[in-house]
This record gives sequence, structure tokens and C-alpha cells, in this order.
Amino acid sequence: MERFFDGMREGKLMASRCPGCGRVFLPPRMVCERCLTRAEDWVELPLTGSVETFTEAHVRLAPDGTLEDLEDPELIAMVRHDGADTCVAARLDAPQAAVGMRVEAVLDPGAENVLDLLSCYRAAE
Amino acid sequence: MAKNEVAVVGVGLSKHVSKRRDVNIAELVWEAVSACYEDAGLKPKDIDAFVTGNMPAFEGVNLPEEWGAGHWGAYGKPLLRITTGGTTGGSVAHGGYYAVASGLCDTVMAVAFEKQSDGNSTAGLNTVAIADAAAQFALGVDPGFLAAFGGGAVGVAVYQASSYMKSSGCTTHHLDKVAALCRNNAALNPYSHLKQPGLTPEDVAKTVLMQYPIRFGHVCPATDGACAMIFTTGEKARKLTDKPAYVLSVASCSDEAAMVGIAGSGTTNVDPCAQESCKIAAAKAYELAGIKDPRREIDLAEPYAPFAHQLLMFYERLLLCDEGEAPSVLDSGSMNLDGELPVCPSGGVISTNAIGASAMERVAECALQIMGKCGERQVKKEVHKAVAHGWGGAVNLNVVAVLSDTPRR
Amino acid sequence: MDKEVAIIAYAQTPYEADANASREMQVLQVAKAALEAAGLKRDELDTVITANNDYLDGRTISNMRLVEPSGAWRKNESKVEMDGAYAVLYALMRILSGDHGIAMVVGESQASVYAGYVPGTMMLDPTFDRQRGLLNEVSAAALQARAYMHASGVTEEQIAGVAAKNLGNAAKNPLALRSDAGADAAKVLASRMLYSPIRELMTSALCDGACAIILASGKAATKAEKPVWIKGVGFSHDSYLTERSLSRLTSLKDAASRCYSMAGIENPASQIDLAEVHECFAHEELMAYEALGFCPEGEGGAFFDSGATRIDGSLPVNASGGAMCANVVCAAGMARIIEASMQIRGEAGERQVEGVKTALAHGQTGICAQENIVFVLGGE
Ligand SMILES: [Zn+2]
Repeated sequence: MERFFDGMREGKLMASRCPGCGRVFLPPRMVCERCLTRAEDWVELPLTGSVETFTEAHVRLAPDGTLEDLEDPELIAMVRHDGADTCVAARLDAPQAAVGMRVEAVLDPGAENVLDLLSCYRAAE
Repeated sequence: MAKNEVAVVGVGLSKHVSKRRDVNIAELVWEAVSACYEDAGLKPKDIDAFVTGNMPAFEGVNLPEEWGAGHWGAYGKPLLRITTGGTTGGSVAHGGYYAVASGLCDTVMAVAFEKQSDGNSTAGLNTVAIADAAAQFALGVDPGFLAAFGGGAVGVAVYQASSYMKSSGCTTHHLDKVAALCRNNAALNPYSHLKQPGLTPEDVAKTVLMQYPIRFGHVCPATDGACAMIFTTGEKARKLTDKPAYVLSVASCSDEAAMVGIAGSGTTNVDPCAQESCKIAAAKAYELAGIKDPRREIDLAEPYAPFAHQLLMFYERLLLCDEGEAPSVLDSGSMNLDGELPVCPSGGVISTNAIGASAMERVAECALQIMGKCGERQVKKEVHKAVAHGWGGAVNLNVVAVLSDTPRR
Repeated sequence: MDKEVAIIAYAQTPYEADANASREMQVLQVAKAALEAAGLKRDELDTVITANNDYLDGRTISNMRLVEPSGAWRKNESKVEMDGAYAVLYALMRILSGDHGIAMVVGESQASVYAGYVPGTMMLDPTFDRQRGLLNEVSAAALQARAYMHASGVTEEQIAGVAAKNLGNAAKNPLALRSDAGADAAKVLASRMLYSPIRELMTSALCDGACAIILASGKAATKAEKPVWIKGVGFSHDSYLTERSLSRLTSLKDAASRCYSMAGIENPASQIDLAEVHECFAHEELMAYEALGFCPEGEGGAFFDSGATRIDGSLPVNASGGAMCANVVCAAGMARIIEASMQIRGEAGERQVEGVKTALAHGQTGICAQENIVFVLGGE
């Protein structure tokens, strides 16, 4: 994960790759579950990818476990980056979504919290 | 459906230290799992099903296998999660035994682990106490009385130790000796956590007194670690190795807790050192294993003893000597690595306690000793039959397994 | 498996939003009722398996205080931290090993004491997803629903139709928490939007409750009145939700094929008379039709439209009302097994389906049905 976060600080998306079967993990995983090999190769992936699936959130989870209404609904998408075998779930900053839609990651290399380095996705040209 | 003979053909352990910052839970488990595959000479495709468990509140991850099981090769495989507190590792090993014995699976990997540095185990244990405390407030129990139960597992252990000492003639010197014995054994075990070669009972006696009679040197550390074992049918085991460790029997027994809980569960009438449930489980396990005289037939014991007195107390409750006799057995040297009935050659839980894995590591050590894979800590005598134990809850849940170099008849 | 292990008795509490009883009391109630129904004494139990979750119960070692109420005092006891259907599986393993003859299984949870969907987030990847706060059981299920709709051409009306069917069936189930005899797709589609396409009435009804099931082999099984035999079982586990295709329930398909080969089922749609599916969200029932082989892949919606899975159809699914009417997290799969058994024995009252000889029961654990287990049960 360190390498993944450090990469985003430099504006790069780093994924781990299994030397056994070639599966590419983003977010990175240290072990490939398909062949139980250390996924220790690193590859840089493009910022672009496709929406695998999405939802429009009208609520969010409150600390008491209930779902409280959002003032403005927001899109959450599961994106498969070009060249990746796994998906990233993140906010999608777009007027609407569709399965298969082309998107690109918006990085915020200056973010204080490493979890905010990947801030959201937006529609790609 | 034919009932299968069950044997252990592989054991894997991760490195055990207090804080593994270099790996996450899934990666820590992977260390044990990959070592286990290697030990058995098997691959993930050879495994029919997985049994897994830990103490979830200790890491702050609910059902960690949802996210991590891929790391142990469980992708697309049946998986069963068993968690029973301190006995978890033992219960997971039992699950491995039953899965094979039932005939539903041929080869099963059992995986148990704990990464306490991700969470707070005392907080985890306190949720046991807090839920009870809430109930006891409702029942009008004095909060001052409850305060005595604070500090995780030490609370119950203190009463148990004094009670055991009173009924057995065990002295604080015996507690010091137990600690020294275990930590010296641990020094020979590459997978142990606290290695203290040359530690003497006198050194232990100089450590801080936590609450009489328990000193800092009598208590286990908090460890990050994982253990994996592969169970298979007797038939397959004989093809894989010349020396499998057969699981002759497993048994568990749950008693009421020696502290009052919600809705009248638990009791204050049980002496926490009585451990009736351990005796019942042991008797059942010996009966299933066809063992008539455990004192003569058992060659090695791995009681689960995070506190020094528990090694002696459970040696007795596992029916390996008369009640009250364990301190003199210790004095005789019989429990040493070169003794007649070595106890905790691994160094025991007092040296290494990755809680969810600990009770499995007892079973694993018995298997390794039978297979003769223990290197420097291999006991001198030949091990034909060994008994592994675990306790959990408020020392009211006990699990026992008997392993052997020959199959069950 | 031919007449080796049978379900000989069971009991459930009513499913309530906030039961006026502790979980221990609920467990005691069902354990005693099951023993009575079996005509057994506590002493005759060989082993007890409980299903509960430390996070849901808000305490470590959640089985510790269930020793007495479940009948496990000084008995061989263990706990499965998954859906209760897995606890039934573990009891089955223990009996098949030959070491035990009679097993008690209890499952419980009380939604009134845990924080709704919060414990579910603890199942997410702790290094990334959990901390980013977007995913939870409902939003993840919405991603799954959308992926499935896209892959199988299913519509929101069809998903709403499933919810309406189950709420309608629940009206004939006296234990149900949520029911609506007059429910239709339009009513479900008018309920509050949560995460599109999932609306309030497409989610299962989290609640308080407990179930107990007694399993037996040999004489205890054969001399029981109307034993329900376990003919097959299969279970499987899939990858973490961002690392698999959410559009299919692959591990359910895998579990079903293992179960069918044990039970000798070649054509599930004609050989199975009734199914109880653990649908945490309405769309999962449609996905299950496909994974269980009731219809070809991609035809879940059409199969539903055909009416086959209605209570008067050729293969009724969730005659009880399913998890839409009550979802006790660690006992929901047990409730499915109990309903299937009641239908086989002809004890289902107003919702009884005629001529049920072979029934299927399903349980699931994890986000987006990551782990699945399938039982096939049969009468004489
Ligand atoms: Zn690979």
C-alpha cells in the first residue's frame, strides 16, 4: 500500500502484478489469490478506465448504523483501470453514469490524508 | 459414508513478535500458510476446504477472511469460520479434524491467527467484562466488586492462581520455575516470541508483582502470529509422508463461567481452578482415542498456559497426575525437554500468545514433535502420543486433542 | 447422502424489531422448544453449535454466555461465526465423524442492539475501502444490483416484484416482522430511495430473533416423527467484492453444484419442489435463480415473470417471505432450513405448498453474498 500511496503523491497509479499469472491488482495486493504467489512486480497504470458498475447514493451511513439522507445525491462507481484485473470504488464526479462509461482518476498529490490522494473519477474524453 | 482416519501432514508458523508493522493481517497469515504448503508438499489446488478463525475484536476487523482469505488460497473454495475466544485455534483445528473425519472433505487447511497490534486485546477482553458489568449493574452488584475483574484476563487468573496454590501446595517458587522452564524452551524455538535462554527462577522472582501471586514474569506477552495446519485422510497422509501425525480424537467441554453474567448465566459457586470441563473433555478425548491410562500412555503435553500456574493446574486437569501433584512432578524434572513427560517444549503460551492462534499452536507442536520436526527443541524421548489443550472464555471453555504416530483403531 | 443425518426438530422466536427479551432468553426459549419438539432431554445432546458474531453481539467470545441457555453446559460446544446454516453444516460434520449422535444448533442476533449497517463495514478491506467510507452493505449491494441488471437485462420493476412477492407471502407467516398482503411492485418502487436501484423495501428486515435446530443420526433419527433428511450440502467462498465480478453469484453456483452432486440432483428446476433463499436484498433472489440453475444464466428476470417462483408456481421461492420479512443475521439461513423442513413436513399452515418432497435452503455470509451454502432436504 505504501508504494501505491507514494506513487499517487507523484501523480502515478502504481499497481502490483503477479509474476505467476499476470493478474494486476489495483489497489495493490501483496499475494495473488489465484496462484498464491507474491505479487511483487510493480506496474504503472494509466489514469483511465471503465465504469464496471455504479450507484447513485441518496443516503450515507450514520455512526448509529442508520442511513441518513444526503442533501445532494452523489455517484459512487466501481472502476476497472485499463490494464487492471480488480476494481477501485470511488466517487464519480459527473452528471450521470453508465456501465462501460470511460472515466479518469483525479489525483490530489498534495492531500494531507493518504486516503484522499485518489479524490474521485471524472468523465474522460 | 465412510468415516475417515485423520492425520496432520503439514504445519506452518509465521514469525511471532509483538508488533508486525511490516505486514497486514492477510499477509501475516500468508507467511504461515505458505510455510504450511511447503511443509506438506501440497498446493492450494490440493485443498478441498478451509477452516479459519481468530478473535475479531482484537483487530477491529469483522470476518477478516472476507477480505483476506484469498491470501491463503481459499479462492473459490469452501470455507468455515469458527471462533470461540481463547480456544479459537483449538476449535479451528477441531473443525479441520471433523471436516475430514466426516468424509465431506479429504484435505483441509486450518488457519488461525491474531494481529493484536492492529487492535487492543485488553479492550477486546474488556468487552467481555463490560457486557457483564452492564448486567451486573442491573442486578445491583457493587461496582467496586466489578473493578476487581478489570485488566482483561488477569482478573480471573489471579483468583484461580491463589485457589490452585491453596489446594495443591504449589508455591510462588513453582510459578517462577514454570516460567523459567518455558522461556528456556522458547529460546530453542525459532517461532517463539519471548526467548530468554538461561533465565532462572530467581530472575523471574525479581520481576514486578502485578497482583499476588502473579508477577510480570508469570504472564504471556501479546503477540502477532499465525498458524496453519493441513489435515487429510490417513490414506492420503501415508502417501505424502512417512511420518504423519494422526489425530486420534478431539473433545471440548463448556462449563458455566465463574462469574455471573446476563440473565443468570454463570455462577459464583464454581472455583475457577476446579476446571471440571477440562477433566470432562480430557476423559472424553482419551476414551475416543482408546487411551486407558493417560499417565502412562501420553508422552508429551502442551497445556494452554498464558499464566504460569495454569501449566501445573491443567497438567492435573488433563488427568496426567493426581490433583495437587503437579508441583512435585515439576520438581522431579519430568516436565523438562529430556524428562519423562515433557510439557510445553514449544515454550508454551507464556512465551508466545497470538491469542486466536495459540490453541492451534499447541496442536501443531504435538504434531511436529511426533513428526520429529522440532530441531533443537525436539524432546529426547520418542513421542507416540501427545495431548494438546486450549482454554477460553472466562476459563470455562476447554478443548483437548490427542495426536499419535499410529492411527486410531 | 442417503438417510444418514436428519433434522428432527426446530424452533424459532417471532421476529421482532425490538424483542422484550435478552438474547440469552431468546436462545433459551428456542433451545427448550426444540428439545420438547424432539422429545429429548438436554442430557441426550452430544454437541451444541452456536452461530453468532462478536461484532453484532457487541462482545468478545459471544458464545461464552450462551453455554447455559443453549443447553451446552458441560457439553462439547463450539461456535461458527457465520450464518447459522454453516453452524448446521458443522453439526452435520460432527455427526458424520461418528463421534456424536445428536446435535443442537442455535443461531441468534438482535438488530435492536447493534448499530445497523456499521458492523458490516468492518468486513471491508481495512487498509483502503473501509476508511474511505463510501462502501457499506447497502451501497455495495447497489453496485452488485446494477452490475447484475446490466448483465442479465433485469429491470427495477422485476426486482421490486420480488420484494412484493415475498412481503405478500409473509402475510401468511405469523412470525414475520414485515409483511404486506397488498404489496405490488409499484408500492416497492415508491419506497424511499437509498442507493439506486435499491429502495427501502428491497432491503431485508433486520430484526431480533433466534432459531434452534436439532440434528440426529442413526436410531434417534429413524425413530423421530417425520425426520427431514439432509440429502446434500455444498458451500463455497468468492473473492473480495472489488476483485470479482459482482454480476454473478459464482460461489453460490459452485456451492449448488457441490450440493446437487451429493444429492443426486441433475435438473434442479424439476427435481426441487420448493426453495428458501437468503436474499439480503431483493435482487439477490433473482441472481440466485440463475446460480441455483432454476433457469439459464441471464434469465432470472424472465423466470420471475413466468410466475414459477410465486407460492402457487411450479417452484415456489421464499414462501415464508424470506429475509424480506425478517433477517436475523446469524440465524437467517437457519430460518430458511426450518421453513423448508416445515414445508416438507406439511406444517406451514396457510402458506403450505402442496406436495413438497424435496426442498432447497440457502444461507449466505459476507458483503454481496461472498460466501454461500446450499442444503437439499427431503422427507421419507
Ligand atoms: Zn497469480
